[in-house]
Amino acid sequence: MLYLPILEIYKTLMQTRNILLQSTAGLLSLFLAAPGNADPVPHYDSAELAVGLMPRAPQQIAAFYEARGFSKPMVERLKQQCFITVWVHNKSQNIIWLDLARWEFSNPNSNVTRLDRHYWKAEWSKMQIPPAHQSTFRWTLLPEILDFQPEEREGGNIVLPRSNSPMQIHASFPTKADKSGIPITVIFNNIECAQDP
Amino acid sequence: MMRYHLLGIMLFSLVFTNPSLAAESITLPQGILELKPSPAPRTTLDDLDGETYTLKQDKGAWVFVHFWASWCGPCREEMPAIQNMISTLQAEGLKVAMINTAEDEDTVFSFLSAYAPDIRPLMDRDGQVTEKWRPRGLPATYLVDPDGQVLYQALGGRAWDTAPYMSFLRGLMKTK
Repeated sequence: MLYLPILEIYKTLMQTRNILLQSTAGLLSLFLAAPGNADPVPHYDSAELAVGLMPRAPQQIAAFYEARGFSKPMVERLKQQCFITVWVHNKSQNIIWLDLARWEFSNPNSNVTRLDRHYWKAEWSKMQIPPAHQSTFRWTLLPEILDFQPEEREGGNIVLPRSNSPMQIHASFPTKADKSGIPITVIFNNIECAQDP
Repeated sequence: MMRYHLLGIMLFSLVFTNPSLAAESITLPQGILELKPSPAPRTTLDDLDGETYTLKQDKGAWVFVHFWASWCGPCREEMPAIQNMISTLQAEGLKVAMINTAEDEDTVFSFLSAYAPDIRPLMDRDGQVTEKWRPRGLPATYLVDPDGQVLYQALGGRAWDTAPYMSFLRGLMKTK
């Protein structure tokens, strides 16, 4: 949805990908170091699906939304959160579903609740944010649900409460138009919120 | 024998006068999805000069409906190709609605000056018209047939000025 710098992310991923894991029986785990440890951008790549994550620092988020004319209170509210730009590419010839309800976020101590569209809608409404800025913000989020067509690429942000603990992201991607296929499971470990330099 | 001739004439008429059947023979280029036909959402927007555009006014022609924003990378990449395509196909009868999603006049003006100065943008100032179309993301392109039905959708940005897409669009225009 966003397409923030999706192309830019894609190029980075392509340049940096040096870990390729094969999916077996639709189940695959990734154990990748967090960014900032001189490791590549966390990503998963198989014959069917590629997924990349890029945590965004508060300054990056502020710069992007300020440039869109967002008000200071709105930008301040966003800077407090943990933004991760997600990029998904269906490399298969079948439908693969992105369904964020099937993504689980956790840190060593507890589950982490994603701040979804409904959350932000309520926040912006309380803050009386203009509809145009609400609309732009929504378009920068990863879709809640999307049937990725063969070869389709989409991306967008997920927003989580900011924390210093490394997280695990467990993402399940149903397959086939009716979701009856074997789901592809991707697990990212040690994902950290990006910090300002 | 006469009966077979009549049957042949009937089949010929059916295929070559019914746009949806004729469209079936058109090759879909990469990234174009054929949709279950549905009426295009009501779309009325102003351009940068304050002139009002209504999608209904283009009934009778194929309409290329495109949603974009200046902050979206693929939109920036795609825009020159759209301008090239439009500069050829508008003269051949293609109608175009280039809808900016939720940005202000200054942003749109300066963006288009740099990327596609000949494009006439329509301003969806609060993003509500875009929401009605329910795009998969930005950029988003839909092709609306002469009866006002949405028949095709493009996935992401496309090289609209290249042969497969130009042929596809020309093929559609022949079906009206």
